[in-house]
Amino acid sequence: MTHVMAELVWNERMMEEYHLMAVAAPEMAAEAKPGQFVHVRVGPTHDPLLRRPLSVLRADPDAGRLWMLVKVVGRGTRLLADMEPGSRIDMMGPLGHGWPEPPPKGDLLLVAGGVGVAPLIFWAERLQAKFPDSSVVSIFGAARDADLACWLELAARSDEFYVATEDGSAGEQGLATELLANHLARRDVGAVYACGPRGMLVAAARKCAQARLACFVAMEQWMGCGIGACLGCAVPAAKGGFVRVCTEGPVFAAEDIDWEALAE
Amino acid sequence: MTSAPVDMSVQVGPLALRSPVTVASGTFGFGEEYAAYVDLTSLGAIVTKAVTLEPRTGNPGPRVWETSAGMLNSIGLQNPGIEAVVAEKLPGLVSLGVPVIVNIAGETVGEYVELARRLGQVEGLAALEVNVSCPNVDRGGMEFCADRTALAEVVAAVRDATHLPLVVKLSPNVGDIVPVAETALTAGAAVLSLINTLVGMAIDARRRRPRLVRGTGGLSGPAIKPVALAMVWRVWRALRCPIIGMGGIMTGEDAAEFLLAGAAAVAVGTASFVDPTSACRVGLELDEFCRREGVAAVAELTGALRA
Repeated sequence: MTHVMAELVWNERMMEEYHLMAVAAPEMAAEAKPGQFVHVRVGPTHDPLLRRPLSVLRADPDAGRLWMLVKVVGRGTRLLADMEPGSRIDMMGPLGHGWPEPPPKGDLLLVAGGVGVAPLIFWAERLQAKFPDSSVVSIFGAARDADLACWLELAARSDEFYVATEDGSAGEQGLATELLANHLARRDVGAVYACGPRGMLVAAARKCAQARLACFVAMEQWMGCGIGACLGCAVPAAKGGFVRVCTEGPVFAAEDIDWEALAE
Repeated sequence: MTSAPVDMSVQVGPLALRSPVTVASGTFGFGEEYAAYVDLTSLGAIVTKAVTLEPRTGNPGPRVWETSAGMLNSIGLQNPGIEAVVAEKLPGLVSLGVPVIVNIAGETVGEYVELARRLGQVEGLAALEVNVSCPNVDRGGMEFCADRTALAEVVAAVRDATHLPLVVKLSPNVGDIVPVAETALTAGAAVLSLINTLVGMAIDARRRRPRLVRGTGGLSGPAIKPVALAMVWRVWRALRCPIIGMGGIMTGEDAAEFLLAGAAAVAVGTASFVDPTSACRVGLELDEFCRREGVAAVAELTGALRA
């Protein structure tokens, strides 16, 4: 974990609301594991006050660069997306736990929803480099084609790549989790890794539980400190009580989350 | 510029602190999360997250919501309960050599008394902070500040249950803070912590729902600093008592403002969420402020506001 003022070296608008950004942060780039996040201040003043957690999209230790995908959803992400290359960003990280080692057998199924694609791009890259015998099958779902930011980055790191949009503007019309169900029915799947909206994670967890299949999810939650102190990002745990997304997560085994309580 | 070292030590009622900068309960866990970021021994005191008799799982999420220059929280006193805190959290904290103040919260007077008795058996604690001001629970919490008879009862009962000095943390969610402060002091508080969070709310207009599950939460951060300063100043002017001031302190100069208003020490809270080194940094900046202003001892600042 380091806390640095990192220089923004890349800011590319992807689609309408997404920005692919890179910072020069050699220590973070060397340390970051797929699934981890960085906690970023969007400006030097007290408003907006809190940091924004962003998944690491890729880390390039050779170039000392760390890549992130920013979806503009409010004032904070707008300020971040508007930053010019050369400006400095106050960042902490990498934080949290990443994706666990894959099982030795079966397809590795990556299910991405919208901006949730980021930690899966990093994961796909790592899987292809370190586990060349496993087949990486990626499914990217979004509301519409304009929400498929960085799809090529994921496709290029997958052995098979499928797309679903709710409005049918790209790929199959429907949900990513419907494509997931098809694959679970037809293929020998070793494990499922999902990151995306809450509803998608709930459906993926349910389908995997029915198929008795290991499922790991990277969760998003409103966050305060990012280091486990404020208890703000807690989500209900299957064993009772809560777990912190920033510290015990953001990657969890799906069976460790109480999805019923979360949906309430 | 040459200058002699500033004497940063302060006396806060019975508590002798090497620095006036402490941390606000609930923003610093039990210290362990911050050990990687700050030199804990540079702090004047460490105030723990609120401890209850039984473990509490806390409120459902979202538990935090950012507001203009501030944030709302609705954590709901999540903590592992007194026995786990005594066994697992306090030994390490106490061994640091920094005064440790344990924040206690209950639903009834009996629960506060039981907590005080149990903590009275723990070696090395500096004080208890009686939390009668949490806005995010159904029972207990800030109800005690709304009713001065109840406040006097709980503080006096805790006073009788332990030899440890009592800090009483008051709620700003009252009509007039001065009589509430006076009640706490008369009942046995040695020090007052001012202020806990203000009750606040955020609404999702499109979904027509509150952002937090309980509707309201506790507002903290720079947004509340003017309110906190006013409360510290009013209590100091009326009662001249030992006060730990808090509410939106982000810098050393913010800390100096609280001291000038009448606080003998300060607590850094929400700032630690933004920058985990905040508490340490505020101490260094306050030292620097004193040098710049020719203040030889930081204690001189307390109540030194000019008319």
